[in-house]
Amino acid sequence: MVALLPLLDAILQHLTLVFTSLAIGISLATPLAILSVFYKRVSYVVLTIINMAQSIPSFALVAIIVPLVGIGFVPGIVAIVLGSIVPIVKNMYVGLAKTDIALIDTGKGMGLTDLQIVRYVRLPLAYPAIFAGLKFSAVIANGIAVLTAIIGSGGLGRVIFEGLASFNINKTLSGAIPAILIALSLDMIFSIAEKKLKSKSVY
Amino acid sequence: MTKIYKESKAINDLSFEICKGELFVILGSSGSGKTTTLRLINRLIDPDEGAVYLNSNDTKTMDPVKLRRKIGYVIQQIGLFPHMTVKDNIGLIPRLEKWKEEDISNKVDELLTLVALPPDLFRYRYPNQLSGGQQQRVGLARALVMDPPLLLMDEPFGALDPLLRMQLQNEFLSIKRKLDKTIVFVTHDIEESFILADRIGVMHGGKMLQIGTPSELLFEPSNEIVSKIIGAENKFKAIRFLQAKDVMIPLDKSCLIESDISCKETINMMISHKIDSCIIKKSNSDIAQVSLIELLNEKDKAKSILAIGNKLNVFASNDTLSSIISLLKSSNESMAVIIDRGNVLGIVRINSVLMNLV
Repeated sequence: MVALLPLLDAILQHLTLVFTSLAIGISLATPLAILSVFYKRVSYVVLTIINMAQSIPSFALVAIIVPLVGIGFVPGIVAIVLGSIVPIVKNMYVGLAKTDIALIDTGKGMGLTDLQIVRYVRLPLAYPAIFAGLKFSAVIANGIAVLTAIIGSGGLGRVIFEGLASFNINKTLSGAIPAILIALSLDMIFSIAEKKLKSKSVY
Repeated sequence: MTKIYKESKAINDLSFEICKGELFVILGSSGSGKTTTLRLINRLIDPDEGAVYLNSNDTKTMDPVKLRRKIGYVIQQIGLFPHMTVKDNIGLIPRLEKWKEEDISNKVDELLTLVALPPDLFRYRYPNQLSGGQQQRVGLARALVMDPPLLLMDEPFGALDPLLRMQLQNEFLSIKRKLDKTIVFVTHDIEESFILADRIGVMHGGKMLQIGTPSELLFEPSNEIVSKIIGAENKFKAIRFLQAKDVMIPLDKSCLIESDISCKETINMMISHKIDSCIIKKSNSDIAQVSLIELLNEKDKAKSILAIGNKLNVFASNDTLSSIISLLKSSNESMAVIIDRGNVLGIVRINSVLMNLV
Protein backbone atom coordinates (compact mmCIF):
# COMPACT_ATOMS: atom_id res chain seq x y z
CA MET A 1 0.00 0.00 0.00
CA VAL A 2 0.96 3.59 -0.42
CA ALA A 3 1.49 5.84 2.50
CA LEU A 4 -1.29 8.40 2.52
CA LEU A 5 0.61 11.32 4.02
CA PRO A 6 3.49 11.43 1.48
CA LEU A 7 0.88 11.16 -1.29
CA LEU A 8 -1.06 14.13 0.03
CA ASP A 9 2.21 15.96 0.26
CA ALA A 10 2.95 15.14 -3.39
CA ILE A 11 -0.51 16.28 -4.49
CA LEU A 12 -0.06 19.56 -2.64
CA GLN A 13 3.36 20.05 -4.17
CA HIS A 14 1.95 19.27 -7.61
CA LEU A 15 -0.87 21.79 -7.26
CA THR A 16 1.62 24.38 -6.06
CA LEU A 17 3.71 23.77 -9.17
CA VAL A 18 0.72 24.10 -11.48
CA PHE A 19 -0.92 27.14 -9.92
CA THR A 20 2.28 29.06 -9.26
CA SER A 21 3.25 28.57 -12.89
CA LEU A 22 -0.21 29.65 -14.08
CA ALA A 23 -0.12 32.73 -11.88
CA ILE A 24 3.31 33.67 -13.21
CA GLY A 25 2.13 32.86 -16.74
CA ILE A 26 -0.93 35.14 -16.44
CA SER A 27 1.05 38.01 -14.98
CA LEU A 28 3.64 37.77 -17.75
CA ALA A 29 1.08 37.25 -20.51
CA THR A 30 -1.23 40.14 -19.64
CA PRO A 31 1.22 43.00 -20.25
CA LEU A 32 2.64 41.22 -23.29
CA ALA A 33 -0.83 40.78 -24.79
CA ILE A 34 -1.91 44.36 -24.05
CA LEU A 35 1.34 45.80 -25.45
CA SER A 36 0.92 43.62 -28.53
CA VAL A 37 -2.55 45.09 -29.11
CA PHE A 38 -1.16 48.63 -29.28
CA TYR A 39 2.28 48.11 -30.83
CA LYS A 40 2.57 46.15 -34.06
CA ARG A 41 6.28 45.53 -33.53
CA VAL A 42 5.78 44.03 -30.08
CA SER A 43 3.01 41.81 -31.36
CA TYR A 44 5.26 40.62 -34.19
CA VAL A 45 8.12 39.70 -31.84
CA VAL A 46 5.83 38.14 -29.23
CA LEU A 47 3.87 36.07 -31.72
CA THR A 48 7.04 34.82 -33.48
CA ILE A 49 8.69 33.70 -30.25
CA ILE A 50 5.47 32.14 -29.03
CA ASN A 51 4.89 30.17 -32.20
CA MET A 52 8.43 28.85 -31.95
CA ALA A 53 8.05 27.97 -28.28
CA GLN A 54 4.86 26.09 -29.04
CA SER A 55 6.70 23.69 -31.32
CA ILE A 56 9.24 22.58 -28.68
CA PRO A 57 8.35 19.16 -27.25
CA SER A 58 7.63 19.43 -23.52
CA PHE A 59 10.16 16.79 -22.61
CA ALA A 60 12.92 18.59 -24.58
CA LEU A 61 11.95 21.82 -22.86
CA VAL A 62 12.38 20.22 -19.44
CA ALA A 63 15.76 18.85 -20.52
CA ILE A 64 17.00 22.23 -21.80
CA ILE A 65 16.15 23.89 -18.49
CA VAL A 66 18.77 21.87 -16.58
CA PRO A 67 21.94 23.38 -18.15
CA LEU A 68 20.32 26.82 -18.09
CA VAL A 69 18.73 27.02 -14.66
CA GLY A 70 19.71 23.82 -12.89
CA ILE A 71 17.49 21.36 -11.08
CA GLY A 72 14.89 21.58 -8.34
CA PHE A 73 11.56 23.30 -7.67
CA VAL A 74 12.34 26.69 -9.30
CA PRO A 75 13.73 25.23 -12.55
CA GLY A 76 10.56 23.10 -12.61
CA ILE A 77 8.42 26.24 -12.40
CA VAL A 78 10.47 27.86 -15.17
CA ALA A 79 9.91 24.87 -17.43
CA ILE A 80 6.17 24.79 -16.75
CA VAL A 81 5.77 28.54 -17.33
CA LEU A 82 7.68 28.39 -20.61
CA GLY A 83 5.74 25.39 -21.77
CA SER A 84 2.27 26.59 -20.82
CA ILE A 85 2.32 30.36 -21.36
CA VAL A 86 1.73 30.13 -25.10
CA PRO A 87 -2.05 29.63 -25.14
CA ILE A 88 -2.54 32.32 -22.50
CA VAL A 89 -0.68 35.00 -24.47
CA LYS A 90 -2.03 33.93 -27.80
CA ASN A 91 -5.68 33.76 -26.79
CA MET A 92 -5.45 36.91 -24.73
CA TYR A 93 -3.88 38.78 -27.63
CA VAL A 94 -6.38 37.51 -30.16
CA GLY A 95 -9.29 38.16 -27.80
CA LEU A 96 -8.17 41.73 -27.08
CA ALA A 97 -7.15 42.57 -30.63
CA LYS A 98 -10.17 41.23 -32.45
CA THR A 99 -12.74 43.45 -30.77
CA ASP A 100 -15.31 44.84 -33.20
CA ILE A 101 -13.83 48.03 -34.69
CA ALA A 102 -17.15 49.84 -34.34
CA LEU A 103 -17.01 49.33 -30.56
CA ILE A 104 -13.48 50.68 -30.34
CA ASP A 105 -14.50 53.60 -32.52
CA THR A 106 -17.53 54.56 -30.42
CA GLY A 107 -15.55 53.95 -27.24
CA LYS A 108 -12.91 56.39 -28.39
CA GLY A 109 -15.49 58.77 -29.79
CA MET A 110 -17.37 58.96 -26.49
CA GLY A 111 -14.15 59.81 -24.67
CA LEU A 112 -12.66 56.61 -23.29
CA THR A 113 -8.86 56.43 -23.03
CA ASP A 114 -7.06 53.49 -24.65
CA LEU A 115 -6.66 51.80 -21.28
CA GLN A 116 -10.30 52.39 -20.37
CA ILE A 117 -11.24 50.75 -23.66
CA VAL A 118 -9.15 47.74 -22.66
CA ARG A 119 -10.70 47.65 -19.20
CA TYR A 120 -14.34 48.22 -20.10
CA VAL A 121 -14.65 46.97 -23.67
CA ARG A 122 -11.82 44.78 -24.94
CA LEU A 123 -11.19 42.74 -21.78
CA PRO A 124 -14.78 41.76 -20.89
CA LEU A 125 -15.46 40.85 -24.50
CA ALA A 126 -12.28 38.76 -24.61
CA TYR A 127 -13.20 36.66 -21.53
CA PRO A 128 -14.35 33.62 -23.54
CA ALA A 129 -11.11 33.56 -25.55
CA ILE A 130 -8.96 34.25 -22.49
CA PHE A 131 -10.56 31.51 -20.44
CA ALA A 132 -10.33 29.02 -23.27
CA GLY A 133 -6.61 29.79 -23.33
CA LEU A 134 -6.33 29.47 -19.55
CA LYS A 135 -8.01 26.07 -19.53
CA PHE A 136 -5.76 24.78 -22.27
CA SER A 137 -2.71 26.23 -20.55
CA ALA A 138 -3.69 24.65 -17.22
CA VAL A 139 -3.91 21.21 -18.83
CA ILE A 140 -0.48 21.65 -20.40
CA ALA A 141 0.96 22.94 -17.10
CA ASN A 142 -0.40 19.86 -15.33
CA GLY A 143 1.24 17.64 -17.95
CA ILE A 144 4.63 19.32 -17.74
CA ALA A 145 4.42 19.37 -13.93
CA VAL A 146 4.46 15.54 -14.06
CA LEU A 147 7.54 15.61 -16.31
CA THR A 148 9.51 18.11 -14.23
CA ALA A 149 9.72 15.54 -11.44
CA ILE A 150 12.63 14.23 -13.44
CA ILE A 151 14.59 17.41 -12.75
CA GLY A 152 13.68 17.35 -9.10
CA SER A 153 10.63 19.59 -8.86
CA GLY A 154 8.74 17.02 -6.83
CA GLY A 155 4.98 16.56 -7.16
CA LEU A 156 2.95 13.66 -8.48
CA GLY A 157 5.48 12.99 -11.21
CA ARG A 158 7.92 11.78 -8.60
CA VAL A 159 5.42 9.26 -7.27
CA ILE A 160 4.78 8.01 -10.80
CA PHE A 161 8.47 7.75 -11.71
CA GLU A 162 9.28 5.96 -8.44
CA GLY A 163 6.39 3.58 -9.01
CA LEU A 164 7.54 2.87 -12.55
CA ALA A 165 11.16 2.38 -11.47
CA SER A 166 10.23 -0.10 -8.75
CA PHE A 167 7.54 -1.88 -10.81
CA ASN A 168 5.06 -0.86 -8.13
CA ILE A 169 1.73 -0.63 -10.01
CA ASN A 170 -0.11 0.65 -6.93
CA LYS A 171 2.35 3.46 -6.42
CA THR A 172 2.34 4.34 -10.12
CA LEU A 173 -1.45 4.55 -10.14
CA SER A 174 -1.56 6.51 -6.89
CA GLY A 175 0.46 9.17 -8.70
CA ALA A 176 -1.23 8.92 -12.07
CA ILE A 177 -4.88 8.92 -10.97
CA PRO A 178 -4.68 12.17 -8.93
CA ALA A 179 -2.82 13.78 -11.86
CA ILE A 180 -5.68 12.82 -14.17
CA LEU A 181 -8.29 14.03 -11.67
CA ILE A 182 -6.46 17.33 -11.32
CA ALA A 183 -6.45 17.77 -15.09
CA LEU A 184 -10.21 17.21 -15.22
CA SER A 185 -10.99 19.53 -12.32
CA LEU A 186 -8.80 22.35 -13.66
CA ASP A 187 -11.19 22.77 -16.57
CA MET A 188 -14.10 22.91 -14.16
CA ILE A 189 -12.41 25.43 -11.87
CA PHE A 190 -11.80 27.86 -14.72
CA SER A 191 -15.33 27.44 -16.07
CA ILE A 192 -16.71 28.40 -12.67
CA ALA A 193 -14.30 31.36 -12.40
CA GLU A 194 -15.38 32.59 -15.83
CA LYS A 195 -19.05 32.44 -14.90
CA LYS A 196 -18.39 34.31 -11.65
CA LEU A 197 -16.50 37.04 -13.50
CA LYS A 198 -19.16 37.43 -16.17
CA SER A 199 -22.03 37.76 -13.73
CA LYS A 200 -20.15 40.54 -11.96
CA SER A 201 -21.04 44.04 -13.11
CA VAL A 202 -18.53 45.44 -15.56
CA TYR A 203 -17.71 48.36 -13.32
CA MET B 1 -14.74 76.39 -37.32
CA THR B 2 -12.20 76.33 -40.08
CA LYS B 3 -10.03 73.53 -41.31
CA ILE B 4 -7.40 73.16 -43.96
CA TYR B 5 -6.17 69.65 -44.45
CA LYS B 6 -4.25 67.81 -47.10
CA GLU B 7 -3.37 64.15 -47.13
CA SER B 8 -3.44 62.11 -50.32
CA LYS B 9 -6.48 64.20 -51.04
CA ALA B 10 -8.69 62.36 -48.54
CA ILE B 11 -9.52 65.87 -47.47
CA ASN B 12 -8.29 68.56 -49.79
CA ASP B 13 -8.00 72.17 -48.68
CA LEU B 14 -11.21 72.03 -46.75
CA SER B 15 -12.46 75.12 -45.03
CA PHE B 16 -15.93 75.83 -43.78
CA GLU B 17 -17.84 77.06 -40.76
CA ILE B 18 -20.68 75.54 -38.85
CA CYS B 19 -22.96 77.87 -36.93
CA LYS B 20 -24.03 77.35 -33.36
CA GLY B 21 -27.37 75.60 -33.03
CA GLU B 22 -27.73 74.53 -36.62
CA LEU B 23 -28.12 71.07 -38.09
CA PHE B 24 -25.39 70.91 -40.68
CA VAL B 25 -25.55 67.96 -43.05
CA ILE B 26 -22.43 66.84 -44.88
CA LEU B 27 -23.72 65.17 -48.02
CA GLY B 28 -21.54 63.10 -50.31
CA SER B 29 -21.04 59.69 -51.83
CA SER B 30 -18.67 57.16 -50.28
CA GLY B 31 -15.08 58.26 -50.58
CA SER B 32 -16.01 61.91 -50.66
CA GLY B 33 -14.30 62.51 -47.33
CA LYS B 34 -17.42 63.22 -45.33
CA THR B 35 -16.71 60.71 -42.55
CA THR B 36 -13.08 61.80 -42.42
CA THR B 37 -14.27 65.36 -41.95
CA LEU B 38 -16.51 64.31 -39.09
CA ARG B 39 -13.72 62.38 -37.37
CA LEU B 40 -11.44 65.39 -37.65
CA ILE B 41 -13.85 67.34 -35.51
CA ASN B 42 -13.57 65.11 -32.43
CA ARG B 43 -9.92 64.34 -33.16
CA LEU B 44 -10.36 60.66 -33.92
CA ILE B 45 -7.97 61.74 -36.65
CA ASP B 46 -5.74 64.76 -36.67
CA PRO B 47 -5.22 66.90 -39.77
CA ASP B 48 -1.80 67.04 -41.39
CA GLU B 49 -2.33 70.68 -42.12
CA GLY B 50 -4.68 73.20 -40.69
CA ALA B 51 -6.83 73.01 -37.61
CA VAL B 52 -10.34 72.64 -36.29
CA TYR B 53 -11.60 75.47 -34.15
CA LEU B 54 -14.38 75.09 -31.60
CA ASN B 55 -15.65 78.49 -30.47
CA SER B 56 -12.37 79.85 -31.88
CA ASN B 57 -10.25 77.52 -29.72
CA ASP B 58 -7.87 75.26 -31.63
CA THR B 59 -8.85 71.66 -30.78
CA LYS B 60 -5.20 70.63 -31.04
CA THR B 61 -4.55 72.44 -27.78
CA MET B 62 -7.25 70.42 -25.99
CA ASP B 63 -6.96 66.99 -24.40
CA PRO B 64 -8.65 64.66 -26.95
CA VAL B 65 -10.40 62.60 -24.26
CA LYS B 66 -11.86 65.67 -22.53
CA LEU B 67 -12.81 67.11 -25.91
CA ARG B 68 -14.65 63.95 -26.95
CA ARG B 69 -16.61 63.81 -23.70
CA LYS B 70 -18.06 67.18 -24.66
CA ILE B 71 -18.97 66.03 -28.17
CA GLY B 72 -21.69 63.44 -28.72
CA TYR B 73 -20.81 60.79 -31.29
CA VAL B 74 -23.22 58.41 -33.04
CA ILE B 75 -22.24 56.06 -35.86
CA GLN B 76 -24.11 53.80 -38.24
CA GLN B 77 -22.95 50.59 -36.56
CA ILE B 78 -24.27 52.11 -33.29
CA GLY B 79 -21.51 50.38 -31.30
CA LEU B 80 -23.47 49.60 -28.14
CA PHE B 81 -21.30 47.52 -25.82
CA PRO B 82 -22.93 44.06 -25.98
CA HIS B 83 -21.82 43.04 -22.48
CA MET B 84 -23.41 46.04 -20.80
CA THR B 85 -27.06 46.80 -20.09
CA VAL B 86 -28.70 49.82 -21.66
CA LYS B 87 -28.18 51.68 -18.39
CA ASP B 88 -24.48 50.78 -18.18
CA ASN B 89 -23.96 51.73 -21.81
CA ILE B 90 -25.44 55.16 -21.25
CA GLY B 91 -23.94 55.60 -17.80
CA LEU B 92 -20.36 54.55 -18.54
CA ILE B 93 -18.85 58.00 -19.05
CA PRO B 94 -20.79 59.59 -16.15
CA ARG B 95 -19.46 56.79 -13.95
CA LEU B 96 -15.90 57.44 -15.08
CA GLU B 97 -16.57 61.10 -14.36
CA LYS B 98 -17.52 59.98 -10.83
CA TRP B 99 -21.16 61.06 -10.88
CA LYS B 100 -23.31 59.94 -7.97
CA GLU B 101 -25.14 56.67 -8.60
CA GLU B 102 -28.47 58.41 -8.11
CA ASP B 103 -27.63 61.13 -10.64
CA ILE B 104 -26.64 58.50 -13.19
CA SER B 105 -29.94 56.65 -12.74
CA ASN B 106 -31.94 59.84 -13.11
CA LYS B 107 -30.03 60.92 -16.21
CA VAL B 108 -30.42 57.50 -17.82
CA ASP B 109 -34.17 57.50 -17.20
CA GLU B 110 -34.50 61.06 -18.48
CA LEU B 111 -32.66 60.23 -21.70
CA LEU B 112 -34.54 56.98 -22.29
CA THR B 113 -37.79 58.90 -21.94
CA LEU B 114 -36.51 61.49 -24.40
CA VAL B 115 -35.80 58.85 -27.05
CA ALA B 116 -39.21 57.23 -26.46
CA LEU B 117 -38.03 54.09 -24.67
CA PRO B 118 -39.90 53.56 -21.37
CA PRO B 119 -37.08 53.33 -18.77
CA ASP B 120 -38.80 50.60 -16.73
CA LEU B 121 -38.88 48.32 -19.76
CA PHE B 122 -35.49 49.07 -21.21
CA ARG B 123 -33.10 50.05 -18.42
CA TYR B 124 -31.73 46.58 -17.75
CA ARG B 125 -31.93 45.10 -21.22
CA TYR B 126 -28.87 44.08 -23.18
CA PRO B 127 -28.29 45.42 -26.70
CA ASN B 128 -29.04 42.05 -28.32
CA GLN B 129 -32.52 42.21 -26.78
CA LEU B 130 -33.30 45.40 -28.71
CA SER B 131 -34.45 45.98 -32.28
CA GLY B 132 -32.27 47.99 -34.65
CA GLY B 133 -34.33 51.12 -34.15
CA GLN B 134 -34.27 50.76 -30.37
CA GLN B 135 -30.51 50.23 -30.44
CA GLN B 136 -30.01 53.44 -32.40
CA ARG B 137 -32.21 55.31 -29.91
CA VAL B 138 -30.03 54.05 -27.08
CA GLY B 139 -27.01 55.09 -29.13
CA LEU B 140 -28.43 58.60 -29.35
CA ALA B 141 -29.23 58.65 -25.63
CA ARG B 142 -25.65 57.57 -24.87
CA ALA B 143 -24.27 60.35 -27.04
CA LEU B 144 -26.37 62.90 -25.16
CA VAL B 145 -25.48 61.80 -21.64
CA MET B 146 -22.81 64.44 -20.98
CA ASP B 147 -25.16 67.06 -22.41
CA PRO B 148 -22.68 67.96 -25.15
CA PRO B 149 -23.23 71.23 -27.03
CA LEU B 150 -22.10 69.50 -30.22
CA LEU B 151 -23.33 66.23 -31.66
CA LEU B 152 -21.63 64.32 -34.49
CA MET B 153 -23.68 61.73 -36.35
CA ASP B 154 -22.28 59.47 -39.04
CA GLU B 155 -25.12 57.98 -41.10
CA PRO B 156 -26.96 56.99 -37.92
CA PHE B 157 -30.05 55.79 -39.76
CA GLY B 158 -28.17 54.20 -42.67
CA ALA B 159 -28.63 50.61 -41.59
CA LEU B 160 -32.35 50.82 -40.88
CA ASP B 161 -35.15 49.87 -43.23
CA PRO B 162 -36.74 52.80 -45.08
CA LEU B 163 -39.94 52.93 -43.04
CA LEU B 164 -38.14 52.89 -39.71
CA ARG B 165 -35.60 55.38 -41.03
CA MET B 166 -38.36 57.86 -41.83
CA GLN B 167 -39.91 57.41 -38.39
CA LEU B 168 -36.58 57.92 -36.64
CA GLN B 169 -35.78 60.95 -38.76
CA ASN B 170 -39.04 62.56 -37.66
CA GLU B 171 -38.48 61.62 -34.03
CA PHE B 172 -34.96 62.93 -34.28
CA LEU B 173 -36.21 66.26 -35.61
CA SER B 174 -38.57 66.68 -32.67
CA ILE B 175 -35.82 65.68 -30.22
CA LYS B 176 -33.53 68.16 -31.90
CA ARG B 177 -36.03 70.97 -31.38
CA LYS B 178 -36.14 70.16 -27.66
CA LEU B 179 -32.36 70.10 -27.28
CA ASP B 180 -30.94 73.17 -28.99
CA LYS B 181 -27.64 71.60 -29.99
CA THR B 182 -25.26 72.06 -32.85
CA ILE B 183 -25.40 68.91 -34.93
CA VAL B 184 -23.11 67.76 -37.72
CA PHE B 185 -24.79 64.96 -39.62
CA VAL B 186 -23.09 62.90 -42.31
CA THR B 187 -25.17 61.09 -44.92
CA HIS B 188 -25.18 60.01 -48.55
CA ASP B 189 -28.97 60.07 -48.64
CA ILE B 190 -30.25 63.21 -50.38
CA GLU B 191 -33.80 62.82 -49.07
CA GLU B 192 -32.49 62.52 -45.54
CA SER B 193 -30.36 65.63 -45.93
CA PHE B 194 -33.32 67.62 -47.24
CA ILE B 195 -35.59 66.50 -44.43
CA LEU B 196 -33.15 67.23 -41.63
CA ALA B 197 -30.78 69.97 -42.68
CA ASP B 198 -30.71 73.63 -41.85
CA ARG B 199 -27.76 73.82 -44.21
CA ILE B 200 -26.15 71.19 -46.40
CA GLY B 201 -22.51 71.00 -47.39
CA VAL B 202 -21.97 68.94 -50.54
CA MET B 203 -18.64 67.10 -50.54
CA HIS B 204 -16.91 65.40 -53.42
CA GLY B 205 -13.35 64.17 -53.76
CA GLY B 206 -12.31 65.62 -50.42
CA LYS B 207 -13.57 69.09 -51.27
CA MET B 208 -16.56 71.05 -50.10
CA LEU B 209 -18.28 71.97 -53.37
CA GLN B 210 -21.12 74.08 -52.07
CA ILE B 211 -22.82 74.97 -48.83
CA GLY B 212 -26.39 76.16 -48.70
CA THR B 213 -29.95 75.54 -47.66
CA PRO B 214 -31.75 72.69 -49.44
CA SER B 215 -33.54 75.08 -51.78
CA GLU B 216 -30.37 77.02 -52.59
CA LEU B 217 -28.67 73.80 -53.61
CA LEU B 218 -31.68 72.68 -55.59
CA PHE B 219 -32.34 75.92 -57.41
CA GLU B 220 -28.86 77.39 -57.63
CA PRO B 221 -26.34 74.52 -57.77
CA SER B 222 -22.90 76.06 -58.23
CA ASN B 223 -21.73 73.45 -60.72
CA GLU B 224 -22.54 70.24 -62.60
CA ILE B 225 -21.37 67.90 -59.86
CA VAL B 226 -23.49 69.52 -57.17
CA SER B 227 -26.45 69.49 -59.48
CA LYS B 228 -25.88 65.81 -60.16
CA ILE B 229 -25.44 64.87 -56.48
CA ILE B 230 -28.50 66.86 -55.43
CA GLY B 231 -30.53 65.56 -58.35
CA ALA B 232 -31.40 69.08 -59.43
CA GLU B 233 -32.58 67.88 -62.84
CA ASN B 234 -35.44 66.19 -61.09
CA LYS B 235 -36.72 68.86 -58.79
CA PHE B 236 -40.24 67.45 -58.70
CA LYS B 237 -39.01 64.77 -56.35
CA ALA B 238 -38.22 67.55 -53.96
CA ILE B 239 -41.81 68.70 -53.41
CA ARG B 240 -41.94 66.29 -50.47
CA PHE B 241 -39.06 68.04 -48.69
CA LEU B 242 -39.24 71.60 -49.90
CA GLN B 243 -40.97 73.81 -47.39
CA ALA B 244 -43.10 76.86 -47.87
CA LYS B 245 -40.22 79.15 -46.96
CA ASP B 246 -38.10 77.64 -49.76
CA VAL B 247 -40.52 78.46 -52.56
CA MET B 248 -42.39 81.51 -51.37
CA ILE B 249 -42.10 84.93 -52.91
CA PRO B 250 -41.11 87.28 -50.08
CA LEU B 251 -43.73 89.90 -49.45
CA ASP B 252 -42.87 93.54 -49.95
CA LYS B 253 -43.99 95.37 -46.80
CA SER B 254 -45.74 98.00 -48.90
CA CYS B 255 -48.11 95.32 -50.20
CA LEU B 256 -49.27 94.41 -46.72
CA ILE B 257 -52.16 96.18 -45.03
CA GLU B 258 -52.65 95.50 -41.35
CA SER B 259 -54.63 98.54 -40.22
CA ASP B 260 -58.26 99.46 -40.54
CA ILE B 261 -58.26 101.91 -43.46
CA SER B 262 -60.89 102.62 -46.10
CA CYS B 263 -60.95 101.39 -49.67
CA LYS B 264 -60.21 104.86 -50.92
CA GLU B 265 -57.09 105.20 -48.81
CA THR B 266 -55.98 101.79 -49.97
CA ILE B 267 -56.43 102.74 -53.61
CA ASN B 268 -54.36 105.88 -53.13
CA MET B 269 -51.67 103.93 -51.39
CA MET B 270 -51.54 101.27 -54.07
CA ILE B 271 -51.31 103.81 -56.83
CA SER B 272 -48.55 105.71 -55.09
CA HIS B 273 -46.60 102.48 -54.52
CA LYS B 274 -47.35 101.32 -58.06
CA ILE B 275 -48.75 97.97 -56.97
CA ASP B 276 -51.85 96.34 -58.34
CA SER B 277 -52.53 93.76 -55.67
CA CYS B 278 -52.19 93.70 -51.91
CA ILE B 279 -52.52 91.42 -48.93
CA ILE B 280 -54.86 92.33 -46.11
CA LYS B 281 -54.14 90.89 -42.69
CA LYS B 282 -57.36 90.86 -40.71
CA SER B 283 -56.14 88.48 -38.02
CA ASN B 284 -53.44 85.82 -37.68
CA SER B 285 -55.59 83.28 -39.46
CA ASP B 286 -57.75 85.49 -41.62
CA ILE B 287 -55.71 86.89 -44.46
CA ALA B 288 -57.10 88.10 -47.78
CA GLN B 289 -55.92 89.43 -51.07
CA VAL B 290 -57.43 92.19 -53.16
CA SER B 291 -56.51 93.66 -56.51
CA LEU B 292 -56.63 97.32 -57.55
CA ILE B 293 -59.28 96.61 -60.15
CA GLU B 294 -61.53 94.98 -57.60
CA LEU B 295 -61.13 97.98 -55.34
CA LEU B 296 -61.87 100.42 -58.13
CA ASN B 297 -65.03 98.47 -58.92
CA GLU B 298 -66.12 98.64 -55.31
CA LYS B 299 -69.09 101.00 -55.08
CA ASP B 300 -68.77 102.03 -51.45
CA LYS B 301 -65.27 103.54 -51.40
CA ALA B 302 -65.59 104.47 -47.72
CA LYS B 303 -66.01 100.85 -46.71
CA SER B 304 -63.33 99.43 -44.41
CA ILE B 305 -60.71 97.44 -46.24
CA LEU B 306 -61.12 94.73 -43.60
CA ALA B 307 -64.57 93.97 -44.93
CA ILE B 308 -63.53 92.96 -48.42
CA GLY B 309 -60.99 90.78 -50.21
CA ASN B 310 -60.65 87.13 -51.20
CA LYS B 311 -59.69 84.93 -48.29
CA LEU B 312 -56.41 83.07 -48.78
CA ASN B 313 -55.18 79.75 -47.51
CA VAL B 314 -52.64 80.23 -44.73
CA PHE B 315 -49.60 78.00 -44.25
CA ALA B 316 -46.72 77.92 -41.81
CA SER B 317 -43.21 78.47 -43.13
CA ASN B 318 -42.25 74.83 -42.50
CA ASP B 319 -45.26 73.26 -44.20
CA THR B 320 -44.16 71.12 -47.10
CA LEU B 321 -44.74 72.10 -50.68
CA SER B 322 -46.65 68.91 -51.38
CA SER B 323 -49.17 69.65 -48.62
CA ILE B 324 -49.62 73.21 -49.91
CA ILE B 325 -50.17 72.05 -53.47
CA SER B 326 -52.68 69.39 -52.55
CA LEU B 327 -54.68 71.80 -50.38
CA LEU B 328 -54.68 74.48 -53.07
CA LYS B 329 -55.78 71.89 -55.56
CA SER B 330 -58.71 70.75 -53.43
CA SER B 331 -59.82 74.35 -52.77
CA ASN B 332 -59.27 75.22 -56.41
CA GLU B 333 -57.06 78.20 -55.74
CA SER B 334 -53.68 79.24 -57.06
CA MET B 335 -52.26 81.29 -54.23
CA ALA B 336 -51.48 80.91 -50.55
CA VAL B 337 -49.93 83.07 -47.90
CA ILE B 338 -47.14 82.02 -45.55
CA ILE B 339 -47.07 83.30 -42.01
CA ASP B 340 -44.70 82.65 -39.16
CA ARG B 341 -45.60 83.65 -35.60
CA GLY B 342 -48.17 86.13 -36.82
CA ASN B 343 -45.91 87.78 -39.40
CA VAL B 344 -46.81 87.53 -43.04
CA LEU B 345 -43.61 86.36 -44.72
CA GLY B 346 -44.61 85.87 -48.31
CA ILE B 347 -46.91 84.26 -50.78
CA VAL B 348 -46.79 81.04 -52.75
CA ARG B 349 -48.15 81.07 -56.29
CA ILE B 350 -48.60 77.74 -57.98
CA ASN B 351 -47.44 79.17 -61.29
CA SER B 352 -44.16 80.49 -60.00
CA VAL B 353 -43.55 77.29 -58.02
CA LEU B 354 -43.99 75.24 -61.18
CA MET B 355 -41.69 77.56 -63.11
CA ASN B 356 -39.05 77.02 -60.44
CA LEU B 357 -39.35 73.26 -60.47
CA VAL B 358 -39.21 72.78 -64.23
